[in-house]
Amino acid sequence: MLLYIAPVFLPLIGAAIVGLFGRVLGDRPAQIVSCVAMGAAAITAIIVFNNVVMQGEVQQIYLFNWISSGDFQVDWALRIDELSAMMMFTVTIVSFLIHVYSIGYMAHDPNVPRFFSYLSLFTFFMLALVTADNFLQLYFGWEGVGLVSYLLIGFWYKRPAANAAAIKAFVVNRVGDFGFALGILAIYLTFGSISFDTVFAAAPNMVDVDLEFLGGSFDALTVICILLFVGAMGKSAQFLLHTWLPDAMEGPTPVSALIHAATMVTAGVFLVARCSPLFEYAPIALAVVTFVGATTAIFAATIAITQNDIKRVIAYSTCSQLGYMFFACGVSAYSAGMFHLTTHAFFKALLFLGAGSVIHAMSDEQDMRKMGGIWKAIPLTYTLMWIGSLALAGVPFFSGFFSKDIILESAFAAETGLGYYAYAAGIAAAILTALYSWRLIILTFHGKPRADEKVMAHVHESPAIMTVPLILLAVGAIVAGYLLLPMVGSHSDFWGTSILVLPHNNALEGAHHVAFWVKALPTIVAVIGILAAYYLYMTKPQLPAMLAERLRPLYLFSLNKWYFDELYDWMFVRPAKYLGHGLWKQGDGGVIDGIGPDGIAAAATAIARRVVKLQSGYLYHYAFLMLAGVAVIITWYLILG
Amino acid sequence: MIIETIVFYVLAVVTVAAGVMVIASRNPVQSVLFLILAFFNASGLFVLLGAEFLAMILIIVYVGAVAVLFLFVVMMLDINFSELRAGFLQYLPIGAIVGIILLAELILVFATGAVDIHVPEVVAVAMPAPDEVSNTRALGNILYTRYAYLFQGAGFILLVAMIGAIVLTHRQRVDVRRQKIADQVARDPKAAITLKDVKPGEEGSWKSD
Amino acid sequence: MIEFSAPDYLTALPEMFLATVSLVLLMVGVFVGNRSTKLLTWLSVVAMGAAFIMVLVGSHAPSTTFFGMFVSDSFSIFMKCLVLIGAAVTLIMGMGYVKRESMNRFEFPVLILIATLGMLLMISANDLIALYVGLELQSLSLYIVAAFRRESIRSSEAGLKYFVLGALSSGMLLYGCSMIYGFTGFTGFHEIAAVIGHGGGDAHGVAPIGILIGLVFIAAALAFKVSAVPFHMWTPDVYEGAPTPVTAFFAAAPKIAAMALFLRVLLGPFHELVEQWQQIIIFISIASMVLGAFAAIGQRNIKRLIAYSSIGHIGYAMVGLSAGTPDGVRGVLVYLAIYMVMSLGTFACILAMRRRGQMVERIEDLAGLSKTNPMIALALAVFMFSMAGIPPMAGFFGKLYVFLAAIEEGLYALAVIGVLTSAVGAFYYIRIVKVMYFDKPTEGFDKPMGAEISSVLAVTGFVTLFFFVYPTPVIEGAQAAAALLFP
Repeated sequence: MLLYIAPVFLPLIGAAIVGLFGRVLGDRPAQIVSCVAMGAAAITAIIVFNNVVMQGEVQQIYLFNWISSGDFQVDWALRIDELSAMMMFTVTIVSFLIHVYSIGYMAHDPNVPRFFSYLSLFTFFMLALVTADNFLQLYFGWEGVGLVSYLLIGFWYKRPAANAAAIKAFVVNRVGDFGFALGILAIYLTFGSISFDTVFAAAPNMVDVDLEFLGGSFDALTVICILLFVGAMGKSAQFLLHTWLPDAMEGPTPVSALIHAATMVTAGVFLVARCSPLFEYAPIALAVVTFVGATTAIFAATIAITQNDIKRVIAYSTCSQLGYMFFACGVSAYSAGMFHLTTHAFFKALLFLGAGSVIHAMSDEQDMRKMGGIWKAIPLTYTLMWIGSLALAGVPFFSGFFSKDIILESAFAAETGLGYYAYAAGIAAAILTALYSWRLIILTFHGKPRADEKVMAHVHESPAIMTVPLILLAVGAIVAGYLLLPMVGSHSDFWGTSILVLPHNNALEGAHHVAFWVKALPTIVAVIGILAAYYLYMTKPQLPAMLAERLRPLYLFSLNKWYFDELYDWMFVRPAKYLGHGLWKQGDGGVIDGIGPDGIAAAATAIARRVVKLQSGYLYHYAFLMLAGVAVIITWYLILG
Repeated sequence: MIIETIVFYVLAVVTVAAGVMVIASRNPVQSVLFLILAFFNASGLFVLLGAEFLAMILIIVYVGAVAVLFLFVVMMLDINFSELRAGFLQYLPIGAIVGIILLAELILVFATGAVDIHVPEVVAVAMPAPDEVSNTRALGNILYTRYAYLFQGAGFILLVAMIGAIVLTHRQRVDVRRQKIADQVARDPKAAITLKDVKPGEEGSWKSD
Repeated sequence: MIEFSAPDYLTALPEMFLATVSLVLLMVGVFVGNRSTKLLTWLSVVAMGAAFIMVLVGSHAPSTTFFGMFVSDSFSIFMKCLVLIGAAVTLIMGMGYVKRESMNRFEFPVLILIATLGMLLMISANDLIALYVGLELQSLSLYIVAAFRRESIRSSEAGLKYFVLGALSSGMLLYGCSMIYGFTGFTGFHEIAAVIGHGGGDAHGVAPIGILIGLVFIAAALAFKVSAVPFHMWTPDVYEGAPTPVTAFFAAAPKIAAMALFLRVLLGPFHELVEQWQQIIIFISIASMVLGAFAAIGQRNIKRLIAYSSIGHIGYAMVGLSAGTPDGVRGVLVYLAIYMVMSLGTFACILAMRRRGQMVERIEDLAGLSKTNPMIALALAVFMFSMAGIPPMAGFFGKLYVFLAAIEEGLYALAVIGVLTSAVGAFYYIRIVKVMYFDKPTEGFDKPMGAEISSVLAVTGFVTLFFFVYPTPVIEGAQAAAALLFP
């Protein structure tokens, strides 16, 4: 019992100690405390993983009754099944490695304890999210990670860009979270409960139930699932709600690796997988998921090929990979999505931390146009980036290969129009993935040095405290795919009952029986992408510029991220600002302040003065008032009673 | 019966009149004396009701102790009561109006409501007939049994009153010499008196110790 | 002769224990002298703790003893727990003050203990006379402690005013009780309820107006004890004049006990008259909320301000009572619990307001506190936000429950007025936060503030801030207690 609680609450204890007493403790003890807490959490999580997934000991641990208000009962319980054990496993291990890495990366920062406290707190919320036993608890973790994400993006709060990015992330997520919250309300309305057990058990009976809203009636499950998916879109930076993720790279690199690549952004995928018993009965919602996921996969990839900031390239790549996971879920191959989620956590964290190592070496330079020619100076980082990129591109026998292939095959095997669309988008994105990955490697490490001499002289390999976690992640990036292959195996019961797939939706099973070309195509296009990148950036370095010139509109369209920021600025931000300004000046200043605070304040003070006058201090005034009060009340009764 | 009625009205009228005089009279000593008069009449009313124990208690406690204490206090303290009452007249009209309204209402209620009073059939405690058990004994019977809880509670209230009086007024005075019998008895003449052999006629030899 | 069988003493175990302990402590004090004040204070706290445990482990099933005059049930358990916590905490945090400000006399803890005993008796009263005895025991002790600093004119004046007005209210109470007795023939709550339930003898099933008028007098006296308008006049003067730990005690414990009595009387013997007394309560509630909101605005003394604020809070609590439903009563109980925690915390802050050994009480003295004493400033800000009812502080939930109950009963006007007055009230609460955070710092307060005060601050602040995380025990306790009053 304690064993199952430990991984969730150890990080909280660590965060509390470091957060409250960090300044007293000093930097080093703070680092040690949080790393030890995380390490212990990771070890226990591995044991839990073993018990749950290998031995099949699914647990549901009741902690206490949280809210009890009439019919509305919410318990605080841990739901430890295969799905959450898998997530706990991934989250704690990656988080632990990143904690260790941060010791080196944040060594010169003046606010080390605060950083570590946030990092541990984040891990706690993430674990609370994945072990949730009802929607409210999930929402608690969901909002918690959002909050810490905000705090960490704005960690360097003296930078305006970081603050702006933090606010943007928070606001965009609000849109998604609003959908999620509405989804939970709709669930309570439909099922009368928000506990997973009750809701999932009742889902099959709700297929034809309608929700009445504003005179219209809608299919309840479809509405619920789409609302939940809106929440997932926000958190997982899917098409239309993706704009915050690249900006979030203003935070420290370990944050980008942990929160904005490996864990938090995958919460959306987890949510869809967790709610598979609902989604399975809502085919329209599944179609929406497929469409949005596939579109994001290709859309983000087209942006990534033109970005110059090393972290932004990886950020868009994350966006694109999340798209893969979603369309996998959309074709009911939830386990494939979860599989990719796990492998992606390792190689993407590796890529980010590798990029961090590069940035560290280049004296905090993030622009790839000012890098180049440093591969000899930092061979270890270089090698690790290669491993990460090979895994990302899906080159055979690296982890990404297994997971990406099974996703694409599932999409194809779904045998629906959207499935084929997803397959096509996935293949196109795969070419682009290979292309931008090697563009990144070549621009960063090869060619002539484009940085100034002072920076070049300073280029150095990172200390062991940073490279050892990298190496461990690299090992994960290589072997995770192979080791965790049973997740998506034919007739495997890896997931037990935690994921529900209806028989007629079983694309994953079909994935094992598709034609050979379907299986081979992703690998082939990945190799083509790598070769193209080599040709474009290595042999003919002037060619990309020429292409950009020739295809200028397309280039600009991609470079400016499809003009989404400008569009949103024009559509939402400006009108909101204008409205806000108007309301402030005319509405608030003129009407409300005039009548409200100022007017009321004046009136209130005037009334107050009179009331206080009654308080003369004379006893007989007081006594008289009491008697008069009694007389008034009695008169009242005699007249009215 | 008619005599009882007459006595009741006499006593009642005097009680009310004395009550009015307590607050109306200018001289505080007279006020206290009127208070004593009111107590006496009230105890007379109790006797009429057959509650002779209460009547005696009223006289012993209220007249014998409380009112006499009041009398001492007003006589010993030099308080200008007319000054204290300066504001009183100013508010008298409005106070009187409220008081009259209240009184009128209460009279109305009792006048109209009393007609409807449905005296409950079950009385809380069967009252012993006065001929069988004396009033005092009847009180004693229930005071220490049925009402022991309230009796103890009341005792506690009196204890608090006593603590309060001591806390708020008692002072350790240092300038007062108290008799300490034990010290006085234990005093040894040898320690208190010294004898000196003084030769008569010698100058400057006298010295007190 | 009267048949006599020994009553069930176990039901009243906590009370008998406290009574015995207070006598023993008084004797210790008398023989040891003022040196023993600290010891007696701690012993009193321990005794309250022991009584707390006895209350908790005692039977939750309703049981009466002493010939039906004393009742113990889940309602009394909930209220007694609150009162004991409030009293013990104020004793603990007042220790430093008592020692410094020439109040170091052994009677102080004993009186507080007896006052607490009186409150427990009030809460358990099931008879008009028992009610009166408990109330007087409590009040008399309070009059004395209010005047405890007898060399201070303000303190003596506070005690005297409280005493005279309290005597007036006791007079009203007795007058009301005698009318009830006259019209029903009983003093026991159950019997009165039975008589009224039978229509009180009136052919139309309407209680005679005499009962109603008696009820008005009783309600007026109880309203005086909870300081509801228009029987509140003593509150600001007494709060300001009384020594601060005493004021803290006034705000925490007696209010709760008196409110418990209010609930018990209105919902016990007079349950059938809901429609009648509802009007009084609505009137009192609105008047208290409005006065509490407006009159506090002009205050410069923080204790006076808190006095008005407490009047307002009682108004809000009464909103729940006006509803006259189990949900409403549950709201009242939750509100009282939260209010007690907030006001203990606030008084802990006020007790820490000491500059060069002198207590200061003006609001300007708080200027720039965030710079000089950030922890106190933070805690006080939490309490102020909570009192203003800003989510997610505990105070918000207190208001939420009572307003919801009022709305469910269709008392929209009451709820609207409540919301409006809390907006006005927020004005002066937040002004304190503004003074602490945005005004130019003056000299800081003396450090250290003392382990007792800082720990009280920490605990109450934590509870206020994080109540929403796990409100279940309070709400369930209140639910059980409220359900009991609605058989």
